Amino acid sequence: MGRRRRRVEGAARALPEAIAALSRSLPAGPSPEIFRRAKFDRPEAAPVLWQLLFRVLSPLAANNALTDLAPEAQARVVKSALVSQGYPRSAMLQSPEGGPQGSRELLLALSWLLARGPLLEQLLAQTRVQLGDELPQCECDTLASRGLPAPHVETERPVDLRLVEWMMGKLRFGWRRLISSQQEQCALLSKIHLYTRGCHSQKRLGHLSVAETEMLRDPESSQQLLQALESENARLEAALEWRHRELVFWQWMDTVLDACWSESPAVTSQPTVLPMISERGLGALELVKQDLQALQEELREAAERRREAWEAQVGGLGRQPEWSTTRKALQEAVERELVALQGSWEPSSNPSQPQRPHRLVRSQDELPGRQGLQAAEVIRTLSAQEASLKRALHQLQSQCQRELARLAGALPGLIWIMAPGH
Amino acid sequence: MSIVTVQLGQCGNQIGFEVFDALFRDSHCSQGLCSKRENEAYQASCKERFFREEESGVPVARAVLVDMEPKVINQTLSKAGQSGRWKYGQHACFCQRQGSGNNWAYGYSVHGPKHEESIMNLIQKEVEKCDSLSGFFIIMSMAGGTGSGLGAFITQKLQDQYSSSLKMNQIIWPYGTGEVIVQNYNSILTLSHLYRSSDALLIHENDAVHKICAKQMNIKQISFRDLNQVLAHQLGSVFQPTYSEDGSFPYRRDPLGDLMEHLVPHPEFKMLGVRNIPQMSENSLAYSTFTWAGLLKHLRQMLISGAKMEEGINWQVRPPLSGLPPLGKMSVHKDLHLNTSVANLVILRGKDVQSADVEGFKDPALYTSWLEPVHAFSMWKTQRAFDKYEKSAALVSNSQLLVKPLDMIVGKAWNMFASKAYIHQYTRFGMEEEDFLDSFTLLEQVVASYGSLGP
Repeated sequence: MGRRRRRVEGAARALPEAIAALSRSLPAGPSPEIFRRAKFDRPEAAPVLWQLLFRVLSPLAANNALTDLAPEAQARVVKSALVSQGYPRSAMLQSPEGGPQGSRELLLALSWLLARGPLLEQLLAQTRVQLGDELPQCECDTLASRGLPAPHVETERPVDLRLVEWMMGKLRFGWRRLISSQQEQCALLSKIHLYTRGCHSQKRLGHLSVAETEMLRDPESSQQLLQALESENARLEAALEWRHRELVFWQWMDTVLDACWSESPAVTSQPTVLPMISERGLGALELVKQDLQALQEELREAAERRREAWEAQVGGLGRQPEWSTTRKALQEAVERELVALQGSWEPSSNPSQPQRPHRLVRSQDELPGRQGLQAAEVIRTLSAQEASLKRALHQLQSQCQRELARLAGALPGLIWIMAPGH
Repeated sequence: MSIVTVQLGQCGNQIGFEVFDALFRDSHCSQGLCSKRENEAYQASCKERFFREEESGVPVARAVLVDMEPKVINQTLSKAGQSGRWKYGQHACFCQRQGSGNNWAYGYSVHGPKHEESIMNLIQKEVEKCDSLSGFFIIMSMAGGTGSGLGAFITQKLQDQYSSSLKMNQIIWPYGTGEVIVQNYNSILTLSHLYRSSDALLIHENDAVHKICAKQMNIKQISFRDLNQVLAHQLGSVFQPTYSEDGSFPYRRDPLGDLMEHLVPHPEFKMLGVRNIPQMSENSLAYSTFTWAGLLKHLRQMLISGAKMEEGINWQVRPPLSGLPPLGKMSVHKDLHLNTSVANLVILRGKDVQSADVEGFKDPALYTSWLEPVHAFSMWKTQRAFDKYEKSAALVSNSQLLVKPLDMIVGKAWNMFASKAYIHQYTRFGMEEEDFLDSFTLLEQVVASYGSLGP
C-alpha cells in the first residue's frame, strides 16, 4: 500500500514539475497552475495563454516591437499564425479574440505547436546571447513563413500607376540603404577584428568580437551580459529537464482532450464547420450535384475517345526512328529542368549550407583542413542561392513585363523610363 | 554616413571648392546659436559626411577632382591650401593637358573611355576611406564639354560599379543667352544620359543665381565666384546636419538617402530645384529680423508661383480651394500658372524652429492628384543656425519648376537638329544621329510627364 501511494504521489508531483520545466524554458512562461485551470477551461487562464501564444508565434515580439499591441490585435496575430501553420481545430479559430473564453482551446493550440516541431529549440535560438560575431543569416524564409500575414489592401477606386511606381521606387531605395548599412556593419566589424588581433585568450579565435570589446570598454555591460548568460543557462537547463519529463505531460494532455470530448461530443464528430445552407439552397445543391455528375460522365467519355484516337496516332508515329530520338531529348531536357528546380527549391539539399550559426573569425593562416566553415564555401553557397533567386526574379519580371506591355498596348506612344539598373 | 564628391570640369571644380569651404566655415562658425554639445555634434556630423581626418590633423575633403586642363584644378588646390583649415587629398586629382572644346561627344566618347581606369581608381580609393558610403555628389555643368560629357560617362560607370550607392548630380544649367553655340545639344545629351544612370538631378540655373546676386545680394560686378558662393550656400542649407526623423537630437545619419526616398522614388520625376530664404548681403543681414511665419509664407509663394527668388514674387497665383475646380480664367492666364509639385522637402534652421508652422505646404492643391501630401511633403529642421542667418529656410522641390526651361532647350536643340547643324562635330567622335533621337524622345516624355502633373 505504502509503496503504491508513494508512486501515485510521485506521479502527481511529476506533472507539475514537467510543466514547470516547460514554463521556465518558454519566454514569460506561466505557472503550472495556469495549465491546470486551462484544462478546466477556466477564464482566468485565458489572457496569460493568449499572451504566451503571441510571444511564441510572433518572431518580432522578441524585440518588443509588437508588445504594445492591444490584446485583440495580439489574438488576431495568434489566430492568423495558427491558420497559416495549418492548425486544424476550428473551435480555437472561431473563439472571440482576446476574451476570457476558451482557455482549454488555447492550451490545446500550445501543445499542438509543441508536439509538431522544434518550437522550443527555435525559441531558444531566437533569444540566444551572442558572444561572438556571427554570419548574418538570411532571414527571408523565417519572416515569410512565420511573420504577420501581408496586409491585404482593398482599394475602392483604381490605383494610379504612377503611385505604384512611386511606392516601388521607395522600396528600391530602402533596399539599397539596407545594403549600404550591411556594408557599413562589415567594415566596422573588420576594424574591430583587426584592432583586437591577438587579444583573445583562446588562441584559435585570435581576436575579440563586438560583445567582448564592448565588455572591455564598459565593465557595467559585462555584468548585464553575465545576467543574460545566467538566465539563458537556466532556460536551457529547464528545456533539458522538460525533455526528460515531457512524457507525463502528453499523458495528461490526453486527459485534457478527453475532457474536451466529454463536454462537447458534437464538436468531435464534426471537426470541420459546414456553412449554413437554407432549405431552398439544399434543393438547388442537389440539382447542381446531378448536373456535375452528368458533366463528369460526359467529360470522362470524351477524354476516353480522345485518348484512344491519340494513342492510335502516336503509336503509328512512335515506330519512326526520329520520333524516338526527339522523345529521348525531350525527356532529358525535362529531367535536367527538374533537377535544376529541385536544386533551387531545396536549400537544405546543399551540404555546405550553414545550418547553424557560426562565429565569424578572421584568421591569417590558411591551413588546409581547418575546423569550421570557410568564407569561400559560404560565398559559393550564397552565390548559388543568389543565382537561383535571380532566375526566379527574372521569370517573375518578364511575367510582369508581359502583363505591363499588354496593359500599355492600349496607350500607343507611351514610353517607360526604367529605374537605373533595370 | 559619408558622401564622396566628384568635381568635374571647370565649373564642377570651382563650385566644389566653394561648397566644401561653405560647409567647413559654417560648421566651425561660432554663431551657431545653440548649446556647445549640440554644436560639437553638428561639427562631427558634417565632418563624417564630407571630410576625413589625416595624420596632420587637417580635415581632407572627401572629393575627387577631375578636369582635362590643369589650370582650374591647380587654382582650386592652391585656394584650399591657402585657407589652411581644410584641404584636398594629395592624390585626389586627375588632369590632362587638353580640354574637350565644349564638345560633349569628345568628353563622353574620347576622354571618358581613355581615362576611365585612372578616374575610377581615384574614386575607389576615396570610397575605401569611408566607413560607410551613402553615395556620390557629382558636380558638373550641363552644357560644356568636359564636365557634361565626361560627367555623364563617369555617372554611368558609377552606376555600374556602385549600383547600390546613391548618385546625385549637381547640374549647372547654362544661361539662356549662353555663349556656346551647341549648348542646347550638350544639355539634352547630358540630361538624357543622366536620366538613365543617376538617381536625382539637383539643378541650379545660372540665370536664377545671377538674379539673386544682382537683386538680393546687391552685387554690382557679378563674378563666377559670387555665383558659386550663392550656390554653395544653397547646397549647404540642404545638406548640413538636421535632426533625425522624430524631430530631435541626434542628427540624421543619411540625409542623401532620406532626401531621395522623399523626393525622387519615381524614375520619371527626378529633377530637383532649390529655393532658399532669406538671402542677402552681410551688411543688410545685420539690420534684419525675421519671423518663421513670414519666411514660410514667402517660401510657399515662391514655390507655387515658380519664383526663383524672394524678390518679385507673384502674389496673384493661388491654389484652388480644395475640392473646387480651378477657375477657368486662371488656367487661361499664363502668368498665373500654379506650379504643381510631385513632392517637396522644407529644411528649417535656426532659433525657435520648433514653433515654425508648415501647414501651408500640406495643402493637397499644391500636389499632383496621385500623391497625398502625407507622402509628398516632408520637413527637416535643426535649432542650429546656418551661415550667420538667425533663421533660414530652404526648399528642395520636385515640381514643374524646370519644365519650361527644359522644354525651351529641347525645342532649340530640335530646331538645330532638324537642319542638321553641327551634327558632324558629334558624329566625328562616334555618336550617331540615333543617340540624339533617343535623347529627344526621353526628354519629351519627361516634359510631358511633368506637364501632366497639374489639374
